Amino acid sequence: MQCKDVELVLEQEGLEPLPDEARAHLAECRDCRSYVADLTSLVDAAKKLPSEIAPPDRVWISLRAQLEQEGIIRPSEDVVIVEPAPWWESIGAFFRSRVLAMATIGILIVAAAVFQIRRDRSTPAVTPDETAKTAEPAPLIPGTPAPEPPPVFSQSAQALNDQEPVATSMILASTSPVDASLRDNLKKVNEFIADCERHLKEQPQDELTREYLSAAYQQKAELLSAMIERGRSIN
Amino acid sequence: MCPRTMEMNLAWLGYCVKRIILPVLSAGLFLWSAAPARAGAAGQHIEKQFKVSGRPVVVIHNVANGRIEVKSWKNAEVDVVGTQSSNKIGFEIEQVGDRVDVTSNILDPAGQPLELEANLQLTVPEETELQLKTETGLIYVEQVTGDMKLESYGGDVHLKEVSGYIIVKTTGGSLVCTQCAGKLDFSSIGGSVQILQPQLNNVNLMTTTGNILFDGDFVRTGLYSMKSGKGLVEVRFSSTDSFDLKAQTATGIVDNQAAAYLKPDSHGVKHIAAKFTHGLFGTVGMGLAKVELSSYSGTIRIMKRD
Repeated sequence: MQCKDVELVLEQEGLEPLPDEARAHLAECRDCRSYVADLTSLVDAAKKLPSEIAPPDRVWISLRAQLEQEGIIRPSEDVVIVEPAPWWESIGAFFRSRVLAMATIGILIVAAAVFQIRRDRSTPAVTPDETAKTAEPAPLIPGTPAPEPPPVFSQSAQALNDQEPVATSMILASTSPVDASLRDNLKKVNEFIADCERHLKEQPQDELTREYLSAAYQQKAELLSAMIERGRSIN
Repeated sequence: MCPRTMEMNLAWLGYCVKRIILPVLSAGLFLWSAAPARAGAAGQHIEKQFKVSGRPVVVIHNVANGRIEVKSWKNAEVDVVGTQSSNKIGFEIEQVGDRVDVTSNILDPAGQPLELEANLQLTVPEETELQLKTETGLIYVEQVTGDMKLESYGGDVHLKEVSGYIIVKTTGGSLVCTQCAGKLDFSSIGGSVQILQPQLNNVNLMTTTGNILFDGDFVRTGLYSMKSGKGLVEVRFSSTDSFDLKAQTATGIVDNQAAAYLKPDSHGVKHIAAKFTHGLFGTVGMGLAKVELSSYSGTIRIMKRD
């Protein structure tokens, strides 16, 4: 059997079990042995990969922003302008809407209570330390305490904070003006995010600040992506 | 004048031409012909021309430090002139139909920043689409009509008399847009933007820490959105403009220096600022265009142009 024949057997039948003729050739041919060794290590590495890789949150943030920008989805509810109704209808509507709202809230409370009771029965109690560990986001600026991001953004913030050390380390050694500019702008975005988060902690209903925070997260995601891309090209 | 004197004068003139003027002219010609060759040898110069038909698309990706300059001419040709500071950078230029691609590559990443400079100067037909991407150098585009996407990390972008759908994206670079027309989208983290004497009917400006200056007319039925996180948003309009204004800031201030021109909105729903924000709503003229200004902590200033 020749080297080409071994390659053909490997292509058609895989690594194991190899026919006796192929094994005999491998015993004599050093090139084919190293070829089989390479293939085996590749297959082993492939087996260790997770079956499905979830895309990072920045992908979803960018996608959502893009869809909102193109008008495919709407960021908030539409404002509907209605004609003024007569006073007696207004009184009816006042009570009707509140009755419906009360009923909905009641159903939600009951559902939440049932869910909580069942969960308490089925799952072990979580210690406060464990809760703190899972809830605390990574600090955004070294040396300053990181304000807790609003619940809506907590996952995005966490994902970006996880990526930040990876991205910054990729261009850490670079002294080029581009990388210096990227680092400087990352600092600016982080300061802005921290500022918005601090403000939202005090006034959680501030929609304008929310919009700015959302845009800043998107910019941070793009910036980290650019840093990673540049890091790859440098290295 | 006697014939002998005339003869002497002619002889003197011939002497002067032969001994003085001719040598000087020869030396000048020699120096003139040698000058470009010396410049090429020092700066490594490349020039190529591509014939195109219709509206070409020019794509430039400059990964080195350097300036990209694009101007237009009447010819149906794209002229590319590239200069590089060392042989540690290489140019790849190719044409596929009406698309011309120019890429500058770093051949030796260990090179010093001064050795990694590549400047590109393009002359394109007046109607050309552009996609330019650079890292730190200036992007300058003048008198080009067509859609364009211009991206830069640290470099500034200067546009003069350009029109089309213009998208500018920078990380820290600023934009100066003079006499631009069409639609403009600008986004940046640290970059500022100045829009001067525009004829733009759709504007979207967003910067996190930079300033925004809009100095010019609002086109009737135009839509204008300008947002800065921490910077100053300043709008200078003329007394003949007609627009509805909505200005909102979360923690900054709204500095209204045009109270005499800004009237309450008479044709729309009654506006009130969102909770937790400082707002200003009003109409100038008939309110034909729509202008939305916002900031997180920066100042919003509205004033009439002199």
